[in-house]
Amino acid sequence: MKKTASPKKTPRKRSAKGGRKPWFWKLFVRLSLIGLVLLAGWTVYLDAVVTSRFEGRRFEVPSRVYARPLELYDGASVSAGALERELELAGYRGDGSGAAGTYRRNGGQFRIHTRGFRFNDGEEPRRSLSLSIFGDRVQQFAVVEGPSSPIVRLEPAQIGGIYPAHNEDRVLVELEQVPELFRNTLMAVEDREFYDHFGIAPLSIARAMLANIRAGEIVQGGSTLTQQLVKNLFLTRDQTLLRKGNEALMSLLLEFHYRKDDILETYMNEVYVGQAGTRAIHGFGLASQFYYGESISDLAPHQIAMLVGLVKGPSYYNPRQNPERARSRRNLVLGVMAEAGLISEQEASRARGQPLGVTGRASWSENRYPAYIDLVRRHLARDYRQEDLQSEGLRIFTTLNPSIQYAAEFAVSDTLNSLDERVEGKLESAMVVTSRDSGEVLALVGGRDPKFAGFNRAVDAWRPIGSLVKPFVYLTALQNPDQYTLVTPVKDEAFSLVFDDGRRWQPKNYDGEERGEVPLHRALSRSYNLPTVRVGLDVGVEAVKTTLQNFGMTGDISEYPSMLLGSVAMTPVTVAQIYQGLATSGFNTPLRTIRQVTDSGGEALTRYSLKVEQVADAAAVHLVQYAMQEAMQEGTGRSAYRTVPEELTLAGKTGTTDDGRDSWFAGFSGDLLAVTWVGRDDNGPTSLSGATGALPVWSRFMSRVPQHGFSPVVPDGVEYHWVNSEKAALTDEHCENARYMPFIVGSEPDIEATCGGSIERRLRSWFEGVFE
Amino acid sequence: MKSELMKRWALVALVSGLSACASGPGGSIYVPAGEEAPRAPEPPRVDPGTQEPGVVRKSEQPETPEPRSPSYQDQGDELSPAARSLVQKADSLLASGDARAAVSQLERAQRIAPRSSEVYFALSRAYMALDQLGTAEQFTLKGLSLAGSDAAAQRSGWLLLAEVRRARGNMAGADQAEARAASL
Repeated sequence: MKKTASPKKTPRKRSAKGGRKPWFWKLFVRLSLIGLVLLAGWTVYLDAVVTSRFEGRRFEVPSRVYARPLELYDGASVSAGALERELELAGYRGDGSGAAGTYRRNGGQFRIHTRGFRFNDGEEPRRSLSLSIFGDRVQQFAVVEGPSSPIVRLEPAQIGGIYPAHNEDRVLVELEQVPELFRNTLMAVEDREFYDHFGIAPLSIARAMLANIRAGEIVQGGSTLTQQLVKNLFLTRDQTLLRKGNEALMSLLLEFHYRKDDILETYMNEVYVGQAGTRAIHGFGLASQFYYGESISDLAPHQIAMLVGLVKGPSYYNPRQNPERARSRRNLVLGVMAEAGLISEQEASRARGQPLGVTGRASWSENRYPAYIDLVRRHLARDYRQEDLQSEGLRIFTTLNPSIQYAAEFAVSDTLNSLDERVEGKLESAMVVTSRDSGEVLALVGGRDPKFAGFNRAVDAWRPIGSLVKPFVYLTALQNPDQYTLVTPVKDEAFSLVFDDGRRWQPKNYDGEERGEVPLHRALSRSYNLPTVRVGLDVGVEAVKTTLQNFGMTGDISEYPSMLLGSVAMTPVTVAQIYQGLATSGFNTPLRTIRQVTDSGGEALTRYSLKVEQVADAAAVHLVQYAMQEAMQEGTGRSAYRTVPEELTLAGKTGTTDDGRDSWFAGFSGDLLAVTWVGRDDNGPTSLSGATGALPVWSRFMSRVPQHGFSPVVPDGVEYHWVNSEKAALTDEHCENARYMPFIVGSEPDIEATCGGSIERRLRSWFEGVFE
Repeated sequence: MKSELMKRWALVALVSGLSACASGPGGSIYVPAGEEAPRAPEPPRVDPGTQEPGVVRKSEQPETPEPRSPSYQDQGDELSPAARSLVQKADSLLASGDARAAVSQLERAQRIAPRSSEVYFALSRAYMALDQLGTAEQFTLKGLSLAGSDAAAQRSGWLLLAEVRRARGNMAGADQAEARAASL
């Protein structure tokens, strides 16, 4: 609202002497007239202020950001601990009272009473669910009460909001949604004559004074609800007589123009009822969610009493911080309710015995996931204006998976703490986790302190990706099966390139060794540099660049050969994007953080649908996936299995840049794709490689999430053969060095290398045959 | 899935005297978090909530029994009953002309059954109804990439692809796809 400069005062001049001379009367009448005109003018001005503000009384309602809803069904992948965290994040209470929004846990057994939620694609009604969790999976899932269904979505937890500049947060309610008891209690406590007065009530001021004196403390305030509303809507907090005058005048004007119900409704949405960090909680709609995780229409008498009682002093009577004070205030209000005949004396005394019952903490704390919300905001900025996000009460349904986020944050901070002991300089890290087949961003960590809303490394740290580029070099090569297969021998020998301008480039292996000739699959799984550059130069830097672009790399890529060893810079999110295609047999899936945006009424505004686009030959990608699995089992990624369960098959790639400035790991299981970066903000050297910096973070994360192993479906046109990869020859299963490897049909070796074959080996092979 | 696991462990148990059993084709295996291998049923957990992160189970890791080799599988996953219920819901939405709502349900199904070709074929049909043929074609290809050796899935995938391509005016591509279907 526009504030006026201090208003002109009615000129008041005292006549110097008591003499009643005609000139005095003349002056008096004139001054009075001027005064009246000014007052009238002032009133007209105030009237304009009151009406324009109240007419256009569209509260700015922040957008709400939700996590993905948890789907519960037989076989759903969730640990008992994760389910419990998830329930608490959504504001469920574990008191087992059986009310909506509560749950009871007994070991792995859960009984959950959902509140129901209106999703845009259909309603999830209230239900009681029974399930048990065994081996991190949901079993014996059953709907005990409510419409039955083999799969049920919990209400999504709110994980953040996009607030107007003044940080006011509210959930608008209409008067009809507010229980009658609530309205009557509010009036009984704050303004008994609300429906009878005309904005100000001198009598009730007197009565309030009397009541306060009797009670020995302030139980009633003298201002009407209208005056309180005017104070909140139009006036500053300073207590001046002038302000009091304005308040009274504006209250009268408000009452003159508007219906009582409109005024009451606005009051209920405006009233200040608490604070969460920098976020101001306004209105009873949000208050009931903020304190009880309930909708205002479901409140019990003791909860109504608490919320109404809070109006008098939201921080003084804060039930989370000052439970005793809050309880006595609540019970006092219950007394007022009984006295006014709103509830019976028995009901009041029963309600007095109730615990305060506020949710442990606000159902979500502000900016719990700053890095993730940051990415959400950037995605929203493509389609929405900032002022609409801050004021239109939009609902933004994201893809954040709180359990995965929790595991990722933990893996980053815990591993970095242990790395600190071994590494100089302040290490930082970032992590992105996506769903392998849908491209949904499930978790994002922007730094080692996940609560810190600062530099978001996952999105903004452009760092050379080192050997993470190698799978794309070999993929480009393997798309020509006539020239390259997994067993093609490639030279691991030093060489130097001389450019036109005379500069020389002499790539080296990480360990400085040279091995003569190695089969291609080993060159990739061991991340040898020399063979990679040779292969890359053979297929052409330009072709590798095209592959990267097809997989979703945007921005400039240098065409210097050093690009083949990853001199190209990317952010962790970009790496996750280009690895999506590698993880899914060549289908590029755009990364998404938002499934849908709806308006405040739940109508869909924008959907961000799953899209896939084949960008590479599935057969060639399958071969690269083989080598990336080999990297985990025998190559640069094998130390992951110090932490990860043996059964979890994984595929991945390390990346290291000069002097350990960047330590990368990117890899995937059957369900998840994760990218980790570790390094220093000042780009200083570290003693880390991809395997000793980023990989420990990655594997600690993977070990903590229940999931399926990576096991790609063999695509059309690929066959497996037993080969001796050193000799690039077909061989027998029982021979030494025999590997069962995929080939694009027709590209398998045409020479054979048989072995003598001991009895023992033949026997073993026979045994295996029996059990296959 | 279960039988696969049992088969695996029976194999390990019986042939444990012999090293290096090549891991042949197997489906992807579900691995609970941070647990050792599902060698024995998990003991009832009293309060896993107190199991704070930070427990590194290095010492509890079983010895690596034998070198492993990269995993693959011959076909994608079956639809779970939960996913099937969503696909059925989508089918009836599609039948009643609400393709947009069908897509929503199918995306839910895809999230819980991402390795089943059936879901992608269903998405393809919904996008055909929405006249987004390019999207439909891509989903068919994605579904086909998961069909593997499942002849029925291959067949319905290639026929669907023929249909989409024909709708897009790609007659040669459609004939090709049809020929693939016929050869199965």
